[in-house]
Amino acid sequence: MTQHLNEDDLYRTSSQYRLWSFSPESLATLRRKTHELAITRASQYAPKSKSSLWQDGTAVDCLNAEECLRLVQRYLDQVRTTSDHFKWPVPVKATAAQYLARFYLSNSPLTYPPKEIYKTVLFLACKTEATHMTLSEYARRISTPADEVLAPEYKVMQALRFTLDVRQPYRGLKGVLMELLNLAEGRVGEVECVETGGAKALQAEMLALEVPARTAQTMWSAKAAGKIESKDVMDRINAAYSAARTILDGPALLTDAYFLFTPSQILLAALHLADEPLTSFYLRTKLPLDSDLRPKILTTIAACAELLASFSGSHILSKDERAALEQKLEGCRDPSTRDLVGSHAVAKRGGDGGEEAEEKARKKKAAREKHLKEGDDLFGPSLNGKG
Amino acid sequence: MSRIAPPKSAPVSKRDPRTGVVQSQDDVCPVCKSARYMNPSLRFLVNPECYHKMCESCVDRMFSHGPAACPIKGCGRTLRKHRFREQTFEDIKVEREVDIRKKVGATFNRREEDFETLLAFNDYLNDVEDITFNLINGIDLEETNKKFETYTRAHGKEIEENAQMAVQERQSFSAAQKLERQQARERREAARREEEEEKREVEENRRDVLNRLASGADAETVAKEGQRVQLKKRMDRQAATERQSYRRLKTLTKPEPEAPIDPFDGLRLVDSYFTLQDDYIWEGIQEARKDVKQTAGGYDVGDYAHRSLVAAFSGLGVFVADEITQRDQLAQNDGVVSEDVGLKDAKMIHAA
Repeated sequence: MTQHLNEDDLYRTSSQYRLWSFSPESLATLRRKTHELAITRASQYAPKSKSSLWQDGTAVDCLNAEECLRLVQRYLDQVRTTSDHFKWPVPVKATAAQYLARFYLSNSPLTYPPKEIYKTVLFLACKTEATHMTLSEYARRISTPADEVLAPEYKVMQALRFTLDVRQPYRGLKGVLMELLNLAEGRVGEVECVETGGAKALQAEMLALEVPARTAQTMWSAKAAGKIESKDVMDRINAAYSAARTILDGPALLTDAYFLFTPSQILLAALHLADEPLTSFYLRTKLPLDSDLRPKILTTIAACAELLASFSGSHILSKDERAALEQKLEGCRDPSTRDLVGSHAVAKRGGDGGEEAEEKARKKKAAREKHLKEGDDLFGPSLNGKG
Repeated sequence: MSRIAPPKSAPVSKRDPRTGVVQSQDDVCPVCKSARYMNPSLRFLVNPECYHKMCESCVDRMFSHGPAACPIKGCGRTLRKHRFREQTFEDIKVEREVDIRKKVGATFNRREEDFETLLAFNDYLNDVEDITFNLINGIDLEETNKKFETYTRAHGKEIEENAQMAVQERQSFSAAQKLERQQARERREAARREEEEEKREVEENRRDVLNRLASGADAETVAKEGQRVQLKKRMDRQAATERQSYRRLKTLTKPEPEAPIDPFDGLRLVDSYFTLQDDYIWEGIQEARKDVKQTAGGYDVGDYAHRSLVAAFSGLGVFVADEITQRDQLAQNDGVVSEDVGLKDAKMIHAA
């Protein structure tokens, strides 16, 4: 009756694999569908809009898909910087960025401009990742009313399909670092099915690794003269780790890496970009040469590395460009979602007419106060409502 | 002129040689008022319905044509001819009680062997006696009858089995008697042997204690040990006798111990990409090993290392693009998009 699961099976049980993993084609299809839906909705409320940008009732000057995408990316970056400003640990940053990205897979900026959503998303992420800050303090520090932070939260949860777990590569990267350091000291043996010479041989191999290419992102460079010692190897490993960490912090969150690859592949790709010989050595000790998964894994990692490398900071919108896009958005956004706070309050109260509920509450309060007052009377409260 | 009453030639009452019932010449049938004086072979029959006695001829006369009402004034119960029988006991009340007891005994026929403790058996007997008493004396008849019925319905099968067992036992009665006598003999033997052994053990113990005291051991400890040994032996013997007591109560069977609960119900995680070493030297976790704040809560640094490495490789062999396209194609073929794929379905996709 024993079922043996390996780590891959474990990943396949996660909601990230089941609901939030896509092939490039399906991702593009999904985004296109969302955008088209938003555009059709836009044409419905176009005649009502007072803006002069509408002509013939069609969306002439709406944001196109490309611009939507870039606006969302800009706000992903904004989420990152805000999280750093709060000095929250890195999982919060990754989770918040992923929540935002997932939200905009099924909703369009035309309906919910990211300016109103990203604060909620960040708050939700800090709650999920156990670095909770009270709402009042958060609202104060981010200079937003507390209602505005809470109002879109349910919408966000629905868009996330109530799956709040985001699998991240950071802990795995630490594990890899730990193993590499121990390999360098000759303490780690091999995995079963992989033929190596044992711990000492691995250590020797590490010492003899070729230096990283010039294009690698690590800061380490080989000593000009002299033999490489284990201490140098350890420096090299640490440098590779910090470079990989920077890559994970930036490009990994701002691209679609989390949708297209698994966290393990992402972290190994980042390490690959940082220090290629080191990573291939490491994979050599982990994957048997004759396994049929090995070439596939290597190609996947290479593809992910390419995706991460192709991103550059200049892709992100600058402040002026963002302002321009937002002005354009203002003219073509869905007006029914303008008052998120109001609709949230109505939903909370149960949806009945706000005035009736207020009347009832007032009457109840008056009756209660009257009763209290009569209780202090010399002869006690009135009986049966008489007198 | 006074006439001297002639001496009575025949005795007024004598015992019937066949049935042993005392018959008096003055016995009169309450229905037809015929006396034995006129009819020497007068026989009285009784119906267990109302326990009124009648002579045989009355019974024949009245009930041969089917059920009829009892002729005694005040009792109008319908009686049937085939239920009339000869009275066994002199006292009609005793007859009635015996009939009731027979009826109750036919239903409540559990034996001592069916009970696990003596207390349970006695409780059962007590309940049966309560019911019998109520029936005999006519107390709470409705309730008692209800109890009767519920019991019959609940234990119908058991009653039958016990009745059959009783029949069989009666047949093998003599064999059972012999067995009983033999068992009694064995028990006597065993008891005698026990006594002898006990005496012997006490002697031995005493000698042992003396020896030990003589060889210079501490008197108190020796005494205590001796007492403990004796006590243990006595307890063992008592338990043994209890177990083989002649009371044939049902033996308790202890249930088998349950297997320890497996929280994962057979699932096991296998590290296929790495082998966990015993120790990882790394500044990040070195202090945690010795830090009281971490170790006091039972935190294991090895768990952290294992978890980090599992996270490092979890999903390395999962090729998202291919698997998602495959799944979408399957979904399209099925015509149903099932988004909520659980673990089993994930394995199916993996196998596919």
